[in-house]
Amino acid sequence: MARPSFFGLLLIAPALAMIGVLFLYPLGFSLASAFTGPDGGASLASFQKAYELYSTDILFTLFIVIVSTLLTALFSIAIAGILTLSETPWLVAVLRSLYRWPLFIPFIVAAQCMRTFLAKNGLMNNSLVALGVIEPIQATSLLDWRGIIITFVWKQVPFVTLMLAGAMASIDRATIEAGRNLGASRLRVLIELVLPQVAQTLLVGLVLSFVTMLSVLSVPMMVAGSQPTMLTVDMAFRINSYGDYATANALGVISYVIAGTVAWIYLRHNVRREAQV
Amino acid sequence: MRKALYAAGFAALLFTSTASAQTLNVATAGDQNMVDYIKDYLGPLFEKQHPGVKVVAVGTGPGDGGSQKIYEKLEAQNKAGAPADFDVVVIHQKAAGTMVQENLLKKYRDSLPTGKLVTRDTATNSLGTDVSGYVMPMFHSQTAIAYNPDLIKEVPNSYVELRDWVKKNPKQFGYNGIKGGMSGVAFVTGWVAAFSGDAAKLEKGPYDAAEKAAWDKALADLKEFNKNVVITPGNAGTLDMLNRGEIAMGPVWVDMFYTWKAEGKLPPNMRLKLVSPGMPGQPMYYAVPAKTAQDKLATEFIALATSPEVQADGIVKRFNWYPGIDAKNLEGKLDQAVWNQLFADIPPDALSANGKSFPIGPYFNDILESYEKKVAN
Repeated sequence: MARPSFFGLLLIAPALAMIGVLFLYPLGFSLASAFTGPDGGASLASFQKAYELYSTDILFTLFIVIVSTLLTALFSIAIAGILTLSETPWLVAVLRSLYRWPLFIPFIVAAQCMRTFLAKNGLMNNSLVALGVIEPIQATSLLDWRGIIITFVWKQVPFVTLMLAGAMASIDRATIEAGRNLGASRLRVLIELVLPQVAQTLLVGLVLSFVTMLSVLSVPMMVAGSQPTMLTVDMAFRINSYGDYATANALGVISYVIAGTVAWIYLRHNVRREAQV
Repeated sequence: MRKALYAAGFAALLFTSTASAQTLNVATAGDQNMVDYIKDYLGPLFEKQHPGVKVVAVGTGPGDGGSQKIYEKLEAQNKAGAPADFDVVVIHQKAAGTMVQENLLKKYRDSLPTGKLVTRDTATNSLGTDVSGYVMPMFHSQTAIAYNPDLIKEVPNSYVELRDWVKKNPKQFGYNGIKGGMSGVAFVTGWVAAFSGDAAKLEKGPYDAAEKAAWDKALADLKEFNKNVVITPGNAGTLDMLNRGEIAMGPVWVDMFYTWKAEGKLPPNMRLKLVSPGMPGQPMYYAVPAKTAQDKLATEFIALATSPEVQADGIVKRFNWYPGIDAKNLEGKLDQAVWNQLFADIPPDALSANGKSFPIGPYFNDILESYEKKVAN
């Protein structure tokens, strides 16, 4: 292996410095703050307080993000599958032009749109009533956990579909043709032939979506009420209302652990795959 | 080269024009109506009386969180030995008590021309902390239950009746919990005071840490109660849902209620009810940071804001608050019709019977923390 050249190190130094200052230092500070007790020594008091006040919210966050990720996977596979395997050209053209639009909309704008769309007297309910599908008295507000999941899935599906459709387009068409020639239905081709070949890309997209959804503040704050809510809202509340950085950092560490577990699962799968090749 | 010179010259011109004028920075906690009051009414009035002065209003957000931000800034600048960025601050009671205890505020009321116009004990006592001389009340506000009389024929008169009503009519009542606005916080402290037995002790003290245990039954009831209510995003959220007909009843600030009605954001048939044994109200305070460069201008600003004319025209007429200075000082400055309209739904005797103040600081914090532990979790 060649000795790292001085010039090479100089070239990456600014990037390393930025990561160090803007990520590693605040991370270290946050960890230190979470594990420091009120008297200054090491203690788990902040974690105890975080658990006492927000244990329901931790479970709620996990539930929301896991369900959103699974639904994102489902819809992305469906749309990417249609784009790759469909034999109706106009459907493919329409879908291809429409599915990417939510990509360009920031989370907070999506949250605001959902607030007016999913409310009890919102656009969705009013349309359903006008169409005669439901009675006015049956209209319910979806501005709770369901609204958060709908917003997240709506935002993340284009992202994962983009990656997945690209991966599906680049696999060897011969495998699909072979499957179709032997009489497999398109659904079977999708699940048994195409998906295993693009599983790696799907996993990357889902892990990125998971971590993104874990970090969003605007959507749970605007779409749902405050009980129960996601960890990001609790962290913001702790800091804004009480200046209680210790508990906020403890909640942050819990978020790191959740994100870290998912990243570890992904890396293990990756390493095993590398070892197989 | 020439373009760069022009750009530099223009930038320098911009710099000088702002530097020559004196700027008065006012930071205010609370909802958008607080910022609008200074931006649209008080600021221009002050600028007219003091040519060459520019008033800049900054809002820091609703609820105690907004006051917390002002406190953090003043504390950080105090520790660093730097002068304060804000010349006048408008803060809630809890933060005012903390700031006085930490010597972050200037004592100015004794030399203020309008200082003697307020005799209520809210000017000297802020949730149990002695703040006399450091603050002037800007207004006195009150929370009450807003309801739609077309949907609700028999309005509950007390917390007990409200609890039973909500059980029979689920998802018709909404409040914002303790996050996002003080109207929900007021409802919760009123609930604890109503159901825990010793309301007077919560308001006046003395603080007894063991009192927390007595609230367990009240909080368990509140958890049950919450199952049948809608949790709204905040003060404006509750009013918004009332407007859309998504809820029929909810706690609101009286001033926000009347202002929204006047602006057409709330139907004109909505009414208010102050339920017994009481719901809290709060003054917000004008204060001057200890180390500010513009303290003379700041005190003149506060003198203008607490003068009878401005209190009558700005506080009562425009923004529907109860005045910060004593009401008798407004006699002759306000027409009777405006005064009566303020007391239309909540007459003065109901206000004096059921208008309470928030619990003292330590109890207040305990109630909020117990809510998060026992009701929200």
